[in-house]
Amino acid sequence: MAVLATMSPEQARARKLRRERRNRSVRHAILLLWIGFIMFPIFWMVSTSFKDSGEWVAWPPHWLPHAPTLHNYAQIFAFAKIDTSLSRQAAEQAFSIWKALGDATLVCATAALLALLLGTFLAYSISRFNVGGRYFRHTILTIRMIPPIVVAISILIYYAVLIPFASTAVFGVRISLFDTYVGLILIYTVTTLPFVIWMMLTFIDEVPYTLEHAARLMGAGRITVIRRVVLPLVASGMVVTFLFVFILNWAEFLLALTLTHPEVTTLTVLLNKFQSASEGRLYGPQAAIGTMITIPVVILGMLIQKHLVKGFSFGTIRK
Amino acid sequence: MARILIKDLVKTFGAYAAVNGISLDISDGEFLILVGPSGCGKTTTLNMISGLETPTSGQIVIGNTVVNDLEPGERGLGMVFQDLALFPHMTVFENIAFGLRVKKIPDREVHERVTAAAAAVHIVPLLDKLPRHCSGGESQRVALARTIVTNPSVFLMDEPLSSLDAKLRVDMRTELKALHKRLSATFVYVTHDQAEAMTMADRIVVMSRGRIEQVGTPLQIYNRPASRFVAGFFGTPTMNFVEGTVELNGSGRHFRAPGLEQPLSDAVPAELAGRTVVLGVRSEHVLVGDGAALKGTVQLTEPLDDVTLVHFDYGQAVLLVAKAGPTTPLQPGSALSFRFATDYCHLFDADGTRLY
Repeated sequence: MAVLATMSPEQARARKLRRERRNRSVRHAILLLWIGFIMFPIFWMVSTSFKDSGEWVAWPPHWLPHAPTLHNYAQIFAFAKIDTSLSRQAAEQAFSIWKALGDATLVCATAALLALLLGTFLAYSISRFNVGGRYFRHTILTIRMIPPIVVAISILIYYAVLIPFASTAVFGVRISLFDTYVGLILIYTVTTLPFVIWMMLTFIDEVPYTLEHAARLMGAGRITVIRRVVLPLVASGMVVTFLFVFILNWAEFLLALTLTHPEVTTLTVLLNKFQSASEGRLYGPQAAIGTMITIPVVILGMLIQKHLVKGFSFGTIRK
Repeated sequence: MARILIKDLVKTFGAYAAVNGISLDISDGEFLILVGPSGCGKTTTLNMISGLETPTSGQIVIGNTVVNDLEPGERGLGMVFQDLALFPHMTVFENIAFGLRVKKIPDREVHERVTAAAAAVHIVPLLDKLPRHCSGGESQRVALARTIVTNPSVFLMDEPLSSLDAKLRVDMRTELKALHKRLSATFVYVTHDQAEAMTMADRIVVMSRGRIEQVGTPLQIYNRPASRFVAGFFGTPTMNFVEGTVELNGSGRHFRAPGLEQPLSDAVPAELAGRTVVLGVRSEHVLVGDGAALKGTVQLTEPLDDVTLVHFDYGQAVLLVAKAGPTTPLQPGSALSFRFATDYCHLFDADGTRLY
């Protein structure tokens, strides 16, 4: 009190400024530490992707490659037989990334597209007709509370045993979803559908009812109303949702590992296969693939980050 | 042509009856206004006429067709919504053209009709703009043009002027009235603004709690309100209400309340004598001036442009309002004498029904 009383307004203001500056510095220091903690594995991965095999597990660690090389990238992007100078006796394990890249793109994009189509219409019906009851929209996401490992084995049994058995018994044809594009696409569609519904709900809820009423009064049927009024207004939301779901699929590992082998291989599964009998894990090529998988995710993430906040806030910060 | 008949219309949402058995006969070319406070069922009624809500029971006939089972688009109606409902992703032209495009009308005709409709409400220069680049009044006109373009025989309007500022609202009232005259179509208009209802309507339907309180011309509604609710809803300021009893004595009929005695018209039925009633009198029928028998004290004055509202008490807890001239010398605290114009006293019973 006495101090305050003897301080001029200028001094008080200067004191307040100093305090604010100090608080800000502390806050930033904590955030920087946290970023360092989060980013270190990614830094290590990128750094390793440019190291030659001798440097992968060197001790003391080489933070940056002493002799930077593109061998790892050359190895994963190789179209043909790997040159022995690159292979370091691991030529037969030097998988090319191209097949997995194709598989992953096909599976992830198709599944995301399917989930988007189904999810958009489901979200529309939930938003407009309260399908599933009042609380359905809040319970949709609970399906994501089940860890994939819990269902992975049961689905494997369905895919590899029960469905083939049943189809043989009933139709006389053996249909197996194990290690097929269809099988993986189906499971990805199902697991990401809740996210699509949840995100599209927030976008569709923002389209005023009266727009649809107006269109219907002018003679438009339900389908025309959805096609010409609702969908154009949520188009940007659909793009965001598609990208988000695509990223989810792109990074999925466990289900792909369990439900495929050896035909269908996604990038995350391929990553796990980089081992050689003589050298153990091939950290360099693994790091190179890891880097390549990460790049599109980072780019897409930056593109949709603004919309993601909107989607994830569950409509609570609606205008 | 476009006469609308509504028979025993009911709409319930769960246990709540939004519209509770209303019947109406709207003649061809009439400008009918549904008015009432929020939640009185006026918009629900309009939505049932439009087909956006399905009646729980009752019948709606437009022209000679029972439309209960017709889709909204098949009823030949045009509707202007409270929020206007312009499609934000389409230009003004496409907004107006939407109804024609849905009906697959050839491009050349679409172009002609859209331009004509836009010209009718003076918005031709806006045709290439998006709705978000239009002002409130312009958007209003776009919504009107979009309704006109399909030549409906019935126009439904759900508080279309509520988003406009006061001055624009008054201008649009005049324009709507002119439009109604020009199109000679049936207008059914919903509002909670009694001034809109009084100025535009051929007939007013006053609704309260899902029921019709009164149907009549604006003057009938104002001069002979069918219930205390209607009497209180119309008129600014609100009608004065005083509870008391009717008495019959040698000099005629009288209304007596604590601190107040007022002669009544001889037309007041004699059998009301001794009954507890509510007397209603509008502020312009509270006559303030010398020679009046009743005394009061001014509490508050509100100068408006052409009148001054004088709020005063007469020794009781009830405040009364009178309209005085703009140059009245009355100030808060000054004493006044007053009486009610005998022929303009309304009597209601305790549940609000009109007695006289």
